[in-house]
Amino acid sequence: MRKKVGLILALVLLLGLGLTQMSPFRARLEAALHAGGREFAQVMLSQDKGQALCSQYRDKLPPDLIPGFLAEQKALIQYPASGKLMGDWKNGEKVFTDPKRGNCYACHAGVASEVAHGTMGPSLTNYGQRGTSEAVVRYTYEKIYNAWAFVPCSLMYRGGVHRLFTPEETADLVAFLLDPESPINRR
Amino acid sequence: MRRKNRYFFLGVLALGTLVGVGAYTQQQKPLDPFEEAMRQRQMYLETFGVLPGELFVEEGKELFFRKGPSGKTLEECDFGKGKGVLEGVYAILPKYFPDSKRVEDLETRVYTCMQTVQGYKPSEIKREEVRAITTYIASFSSKAKIQVVPKHPAELAMYNLGRELWYTRAGARDMSCAVCHDQYAGQRVRLSPVRSPKQGLGNEWPAYRFEEDKLYTMQDRIDFCYESIAIPKPEYYSDVHIALTVYMLAEATKAGHSFEELPFFTR
Repeated sequence: MRKKVGLILALVLLLGLGLTQMSPFRARLEAALHAGGREFAQVMLSQDKGQALCSQYRDKLPPDLIPGFLAEQKALIQYPASGKLMGDWKNGEKVFTDPKRGNCYACHAGVASEVAHGTMGPSLTNYGQRGTSEAVVRYTYEKIYNAWAFVPCSLMYRGGVHRLFTPEETADLVAFLLDPESPINRR
Repeated sequence: MRRKNRYFFLGVLALGTLVGVGAYTQQQKPLDPFEEAMRQRQMYLETFGVLPGELFVEEGKELFFRKGPSGKTLEECDFGKGKGVLEGVYAILPKYFPDSKRVEDLETRVYTCMQTVQGYKPSEIKREEVRAITTYIASFSSKAKIQVVPKHPAELAMYNLGRELWYTRAGARDMSCAVCHDQYAGQRVRLSPVRSPKQGLGNEWPAYRFEEDKLYTMQDRIDFCYESIAIPKPEYYSDVHIALTVYMLAEATKAGHSFEELPFFTR
């Protein structure tokens, strides 16, 4: 009896050790990241939970993790204090174009006269034909603020979550896409 | 003297490039950037009779035969096929070197040998010199078939490390290499086509980029990618570059790709 208890205790101890220790592969990876320098390692090692999951599952989450993932991402969305989700399209265009903020032309077509646009995302030319119902405005705002609240691990980065633009600037981006006066919607 | 000539030449080219780029982003239909690079290349050949990459090769050759503090030149370094052999070595790198006990790409190997064979201190080794020497040695593998097949346990470990880095999403833009270079390969970022390793990604470096007016090695190009996705670039000669290079070139090897004319000429 005493022997059995001892054996179980030893097993539990071993299991605990196994769980708390970093895998050799993980240790090797972290060593390589540190070899890349302090600033590089700092960014690569400070993944948030979403980034870590997308990396682990190579951007294809198992179905049972998806509802929880979407809910957590949705909870990260913040809104302008004014409650207005459609702001000033002129400022929105600046944020849209700025490589340090929206950088949207990297992947999307926008104003028809801009030919130097990427093709990884859908074209946003004439996006405003969807109208400006509350549902369209809200979806557009939330998608821009946190794309992963809709498509887990999508290429589109979470510009609002990372504060590449503020909630107010997100509303300006919404206006740039939806305002009938915006050049994106003019023929 | 040669250096001065090169800067003058590059200055003139930069001016021409600005005019060229301005003209082509203002057109209605976007030009294929590779066609544009070929056009520019032809223009440089017609105007100067030489490509900018060749000037880096010349400079690298001089440095290759320069004696270091130990009195030796880089002829005494084994780049993967034995001392003094340069033909085709770039096509089999990165590989494991028993003397340094490390998997090394060409740039790292140059950096290592400048220390262990030639006796330079790390602080005495200029990045531009390693860049030029790398370009010189790589020119002996112009159009060679890529043959990066991890076999040694250290090479296999490096491949696995590279694959993990490839899929790591991090930074304020939530990016990884894979999300663009696998899922969206064949599409464009602005005007630049994006390729996957299976489509031969990595087979054009070292290359002269006329838009930047600089020579880029593979490590420089990896850094350019990291910076454009808001991740600070890793230190030169670190395992990060080497692991990613092993991964990309091993995948390109499986798909049967060859290097371009090296040093390549690109946008």
